[in-house]
Amino acid sequence: MTLAIHLYRRIMRRSRVIGLLALSAVPGLVFWLSAFDADEEDLTAIYSDVLAGVGYTFAIAALILTTATLRDERDSGTLPYIYMRPLSRLSMAIQSLVAGTAAALVIGIGGWAASAIALLAVGGDFDTALRSLSLFVAAGFGYAAIFVPLGYLVPRALLVGLGYILVLETILAFAVEGLAQLSIWRISLSIYAGLEDGFGEFAQEAMSPVTPGVGGGVAKLAGVLVLGLVVLTWALRRRDAL
Amino acid sequence: MTDAVVVTNLSKWFGLKVAVSELTITFRPGVTGLLGPNGAGKTTLLRVIAGLQRPSQGEVRILGIDPRKDTDIYRRISLVPEDESVYDRLTGREFVELAAKLAKIDHPIDRARSVIETVALTEAADRALGGFSKGMRQRAKVAAALVSDPEILLLDEPLNGADPVQRAHLITLFKRLGTEGKTLLVSSHVLTEVERVSDRVVAMVDGRLAAVGDVATIRAAMTDKPRRIYVDTGNPRKLAAALIAGPDVLGVQVDGDTVHVETSDAAGLARRLPAISIEQEIPITKVEPVDESLESVFRYLVEGR
Repeated sequence: MTLAIHLYRRIMRRSRVIGLLALSAVPGLVFWLSAFDADEEDLTAIYSDVLAGVGYTFAIAALILTTATLRDERDSGTLPYIYMRPLSRLSMAIQSLVAGTAAALVIGIGGWAASAIALLAVGGDFDTALRSLSLFVAAGFGYAAIFVPLGYLVPRALLVGLGYILVLETILAFAVEGLAQLSIWRISLSIYAGLEDGFGEFAQEAMSPVTPGVGGGVAKLAGVLVLGLVVLTWALRRRDAL
Repeated sequence: MTDAVVVTNLSKWFGLKVAVSELTITFRPGVTGLLGPNGAGKTTLLRVIAGLQRPSQGEVRILGIDPRKDTDIYRRISLVPEDESVYDRLTGREFVELAAKLAKIDHPIDRARSVIETVALTEAADRALGGFSKGMRQRAKVAAALVSDPEILLLDEPLNGADPVQRAHLITLFKRLGTEGKTLLVSSHVLTEVERVSDRVVAMVDGRLAAVGDVATIRAAMTDKPRRIYVDTGNPRKLAAALIAGPDVLGVQVDGDTVHVETSDAAGLARRLPAISIEQEIPITKVEPVDESLESVFRYLVEGR
């Protein structure tokens, strides 16, 4: 796992991590402001609504981190130092995905912690907070599976990834039902909804037409991960490294 | 002696730009200089040999293996890339140790220490690479490449930015590795460097192979280029008259005590000169071929196309 550790350290620059943790903490702040005077029985619904609506900030943070996993190496001309090593391309792809996912999870857990603290601060219970961790973890895995290969393949991966999040996930997926099934955020919400009984109205709308369910969501994510691994391995084998 | 690197009918293009065109060449143990102006295709050739880029056409075999298909070959080949970039936040030692660990060699820490000593970087090894001078970065890159003790070493402009002392040290190191039986391919556009470091020169122009051999062989292959030779004599007018009568002399010019001779057959002229000197009693004090340097050959190669 030498490569995974190296890539992880490289993308988790202190300034970048601080900025992205702040971005991921925005839902917690929004929730705290929204739920300040709310009744206790409404807290779970407000909490899930805010995470579903504002949690996209984590998607953007995950995009910035995970596209950088191999893109930083390509752009800076340091890729030969890791590419010209006796590592199978499958192993290199796995380690890259591990690094990207780990980085996304660290930021995701930071964002979740901010939200959980906000929930506890207004009188919510820890179990509700704990269930919402599934949203960040699932999204971390899903976005890494898409954006690590994207970062290797596309020079303007950040722009393309933003297009995916802001156009496909937030606009097109509402208009075209089939596209909603390709939304990592909706799949992650469906896993969260499968664990949380008091899912808010807005959160349900944000997730639709994907149906709640842990098993189905995890299976879809596993499929996305396998696809990401296959695409990245193919790219490392077949495409020019520089 | 077997060929370490075999390049067969290799072409590499990017869109409409052809970087390397129908190149067929082999590299054997020893130091080979890869010479050419910027844009000649040297870096692309090295990257394709290293497996970093796919050939658009043709094939590359490293010790009989396609580097794009078997990554185990990277135990036996290393590249020092031209890009100045290194991991600025790592120290020189961390950088070389990372290379050792990724190369899966035994005792990576000890091996890293050893190659850092080899490139004379021990004193600066614990400083961040971001604070290194360009020459020190080059040495760190060379150390990272040497850490796996590769049989084949590809060096893309490795002397760029090195000061004269560092340069001399690296050249000595490359020559030593060559005599130890390793295959080194050193690209440069600085002609004197290639001349100093290489047993053999491969000249590239516009992505094509222009010439292969040692400097003199390449020069001899340029039969359509006249050679210029300066001859110092006590009687330049008489010598000029004697020389111009020869079939291999294309022109003479007298400049003080020196006769500038243009000849199509330098070896023939070298044989005739002593005879002329004795028969016609013309004292000759110095014979100097003026365009035997690699630079003149290179300039001719570029201009001739």
